Amino acid sequence: MLKKYMRIALVSLLLIVVLGALPAFAQDEPVTITWFVGIGTGGAPEQREMQEAVVQRFNESHDDIQIELIIVENNVAVETLGTLIATGEAPDIVGPAGFAGAWAFAGSWLPLDDLIEETGYDLSQFPESAVEIHRTSEGLLGLPLANFPAFLYYRPGLFDEAGLEYPPAHYGDPYILDGEEVEWDVYTLREVGMRLTVDANGFDATEEEFDPENIIQWGFANQWAGPMRQNYTLFGAASVYEDNGDGTYTAVFPENWREGVQWFYNGIWEDHFIPNAAQVGSDLLGAGNAFASGNLAMAQSHLWYTCCLPDSDWDAAALPSYNGQTTARIHADTFRIMNTTEYPREAFEVLTYLTGEASLDLLSVYGGMPARPDDQDAFIATLDEKYPQGVNWDVVIESLAFTDVPHHEEWLPNNNKANDRLDAFQSLLESTPGLDLDAEIATLVSDLQAIFDEYSAGQSDE
Amino acid sequence: MAAIANKSSNAATAPFFARQLQKFGAASLVTLFASILLAAYLSPFAYMAVTSIKDKDQIVASATGSILPVEPVYFEYEGKQVELLKVPMEDGTVKELAIIEKGRRASTFVDPNDPNLTPIELEVRWRALEPVTRFAPKLGNFEEAWNLANFPRLITNTIIIAVTGLIGTVISSVCVAYAFARFPIPGKRLLFLLLISTIVLPRQVMLVPTYAFFNAIGWTGTWLPLIVPHFFSNAYNVFLLRQYFLQLPKELDEAAMIDGAGPFRILVSIIVPQSWPVIIAVALFHLVFAWNDYFEPLIYTLGKPEIQPIAVGIQVFNFKYDQQPHLIQATALMGMVVPIALFFLAQRFFMRGVVITGVDK
Amino acid sequence: MTTAQDTSASATDTAPIATNQKKHRPTSQLEKMQRRWGWIFISPWIIGFLGFTLIPMVASFIFSFLKFTINHPEDIRFIGLQNYQNLLTDPLVGVSLGVTFKFALLSLPLAIILPVALAALLNNKYLRGKRFFRTLFYMPYIVPIVSAVYVWSGVLNTETGWLNRFLELFGIQGPDWLNSVVWIYPALVIIGLWGLGNSYLITLASMQGVPTELYEAATVDGANMWQRFRKITLPMISPVIFYNLILAVIGLLRYFEIPFILKEGTGQPGNATMFYNIHFYKTAFVFLDMGYGSTLAWLLFIITMIFTVLLFYTARYWVYYASGDVF
Repeated sequence: MLKKYMRIALVSLLLIVVLGALPAFAQDEPVTITWFVGIGTGGAPEQREMQEAVVQRFNESHDDIQIELIIVENNVAVETLGTLIATGEAPDIVGPAGFAGAWAFAGSWLPLDDLIEETGYDLSQFPESAVEIHRTSEGLLGLPLANFPAFLYYRPGLFDEAGLEYPPAHYGDPYILDGEEVEWDVYTLREVGMRLTVDANGFDATEEEFDPENIIQWGFANQWAGPMRQNYTLFGAASVYEDNGDGTYTAVFPENWREGVQWFYNGIWEDHFIPNAAQVGSDLLGAGNAFASGNLAMAQSHLWYTCCLPDSDWDAAALPSYNGQTTARIHADTFRIMNTTEYPREAFEVLTYLTGEASLDLLSVYGGMPARPDDQDAFIATLDEKYPQGVNWDVVIESLAFTDVPHHEEWLPNNNKANDRLDAFQSLLESTPGLDLDAEIATLVSDLQAIFDEYSAGQSDE
Repeated sequence: MAAIANKSSNAATAPFFARQLQKFGAASLVTLFASILLAAYLSPFAYMAVTSIKDKDQIVASATGSILPVEPVYFEYEGKQVELLKVPMEDGTVKELAIIEKGRRASTFVDPNDPNLTPIELEVRWRALEPVTRFAPKLGNFEEAWNLANFPRLITNTIIIAVTGLIGTVISSVCVAYAFARFPIPGKRLLFLLLISTIVLPRQVMLVPTYAFFNAIGWTGTWLPLIVPHFFSNAYNVFLLRQYFLQLPKELDEAAMIDGAGPFRILVSIIVPQSWPVIIAVALFHLVFAWNDYFEPLIYTLGKPEIQPIAVGIQVFNFKYDQQPHLIQATALMGMVVPIALFFLAQRFFMRGVVITGVDK
Repeated sequence: MTTAQDTSASATDTAPIATNQKKHRPTSQLEKMQRRWGWIFISPWIIGFLGFTLIPMVASFIFSFLKFTINHPEDIRFIGLQNYQNLLTDPLVGVSLGVTFKFALLSLPLAIILPVALAALLNNKYLRGKRFFRTLFYMPYIVPIVSAVYVWSGVLNTETGWLNRFLELFGIQGPDWLNSVVWIYPALVIIGLWGLGNSYLITLASMQGVPTELYEAATVDGANMWQRFRKITLPMISPVIFYNLILAVIGLLRYFEIPFILKEGTGQPGNATMFYNIHFYKTAFVFLDMGYGSTLAWLLFIITMIFTVLLFYTARYWVYYASGDVF
């Protein structure tokens, strides 16, 4: 009796071992490439669906490689990805993600140069600038996928109601304010913004009766510009540190951004045409999705915002200039391969599939302008289908000529801590009236200096 | 509380009908007080409920207007849908007019009852006017949430995870708590402090090694990490059950022991019957925990949507850049139906009398 | 306290038995057997602890002596007490503990009193529709946390939230609940009220366990409702009040989810929601420094242990166990 049980147990144990070892012996076992979505866009329902379809198409046509798709919601994506990396279970491909997401995991990405050479991948299909933007000191870390230039979203209906001309349809065009041509700069934007800011009784922010406690419509906002540096590119591109070349860095606050901070802060607390943190979070402004609520007349945002703008009552226009200079910041999201991958070749094949054959489908849901110029017309056609009002896409393409260098998501020494400190500064401005801005900026700079110094000290340890 | 208490103590000497009247008065007073408290406590729940039957535009409109899901009433004018507003007229009456051209200081209206639809220009600020609206709940949200989130699968997964874990945690926790409450184990205090201490370390600090461990034994991508650990008791439950068992007098145990009952018999027929309320409470907590636990199920079921529970599935509407609050709330409400129903049914165990009858005195 | 013991003595003779048992120890043979049974019953936890908890705990303790950047598992180095030294110079340790204690002052008394008050109300013999009330007061506890935080940020919004709109009806200008460094704490307390379901239910369950004879005896002695509550109910449910207290303290020290979701883990406004665990989380998962993160976690562990031991020490003075045990 006992013997019989022993035998059964032995046989089943043997079976388990053999079955467990089987994959190791099997020759045709396909390689699984995991694709991690979550640190950038990609989590909205229609994006999920499209990504799943793209994966299914690949898997059905490939026996040797199978893609496993992991989609994680943003606020736990970093924690999840961190756990996977730390436990040696890192995914092979991560994205779509912009530079901010890439720098957050600096040092984790595989340089693609060797693979490109080995496979003879044709980089000439992209403009050189689109390729080079992904190059760092480590090498080329991504293939061009999408460009998301920033431009001005505006609501023509609200301009009509205020009796105002629309903002310029092309860069360099003047604005017609009260019948006169004026330069379309940040000061004109302020004036127009105030006239488009209305209280519950119908008075605008330039009128004496205006009640700032009961605003129901605002003139302007930086839509979803959480990271601090994203908020001041209108005032020109700039960097918050100087590389001293000896491994140390000096924290600086650019003068043009100082004016930008003043303009922005007054815009919230004195001119009232920019909503503050509580107002942005209110249901009146769609609990965060301000422009889509219909109660915001103008928003600076990127092309990706077409992901989340359900209605058609809007158009695109030129961003205002500052001191005669125009800057339209840009995002360039793509997929990257993690340098821990066991199968770089297979991962690269999937990468070229995602940035190649599948790119148009993906970009239609990510809302990104294809980096491949040949695909741009087809992409705009898909957007026109989604927004039948006839959006001025020309100005969006024009924006590409005014990109911000240095980039507002450029790497910072002690990147994640420095960004955290900058974002705290931005959130302070948006939620606190009556600040002494010069003092706050001075504190910010000295804090940043300490954060940079910590980095320098850590580097010299090694 | 104190006032009510005094009344009831006076009641002992009052004549019968007066006593009944006082009882009725006390009951109304207590119930009224509880109702007011409940209304305040649940008012955010009302926000949740009305949000679940709005669309996004209605949520925005509710910020300044009615909190109910209403939508503007439109009038068709020259092929366009224009809003109806309540306009105060010079004669003091209020007329419902359609606004055909909006202006900051003056707007153009038409009277829908005017057969000629003559445009009227009025010097009013239209934003100060009240729109004509009608009640229009968007019950379709529930259907949309149901379809998008693959509800039946999510609920089935959640029930399997929750119920197996529940059985495991209740049985094991009762045993362990019994050991802590009744047996002379050497080093018991130290062990107990160790048990409590396992509650303390943040789960995130355990995350990397725990994940590595489950991954090493091949459990990631399955339900095992979400179920099996519960079969080895849980510190919260053991602590609570121990507190309760310590509250029980030992006389019954001892009587049973003299009658020859072993420790297991005593647990099953003396301790457990006296402890149903707290055991049910533990079971409910586990149910709610398993229902809403989010991060661990997420990370252990990564890339396997077919085995994910509801708390993970619901996140599809919580994408940071495009939240769907109405769908979040609709899904949350639907997901709550099962636990609430079970809670309501479990109430039987919290009614005085039911529990005591189980004990043979 | 004394009344409860007296009453219970006269009604059930519990207390004498309990003390007698201490004096007349059973034979060593019986005790041995009892011990063996004790180990059998406790074994699930021991096995689970060794299998699932001990390894990660020890691992995290080891992490605290390492330089461990989460995205560079290949570059792990032993750095001795460096991480512990960092604790002394990290200003956010003090800030985050301060934030946690500030919040505790506000929320801890409520976390102890409210469950008892609510359970007493819902256990009141005059209350009609008990099932209905009990279910509905428990209901918010079931609401998924993401959904609940969303609801509360809607309700507490300065401009359009229901609470401020309600206050406006009385001409009160409501504060900026979620973006003010002062008002964020009451706001978090209000949000926390929705988590009351757990502790009130435990308290209610415990009230069911109070032997009815005690009340009958006390009524005969002429005690009114309030006296019976104070002299019988409160001491009899003190083990569960103690449980609520311990869990509230631990819960406060590891308070995380609500401020994390509400403020996206930033610790803003200012550093007002920089609770200790948020600081830990940012260190480990935003700054990716798992080594120092583990050190922070172990400091928290030690602080919590001190509080727990102190509370257990006080328990002998105010917690009454009918079985006669003291911890």
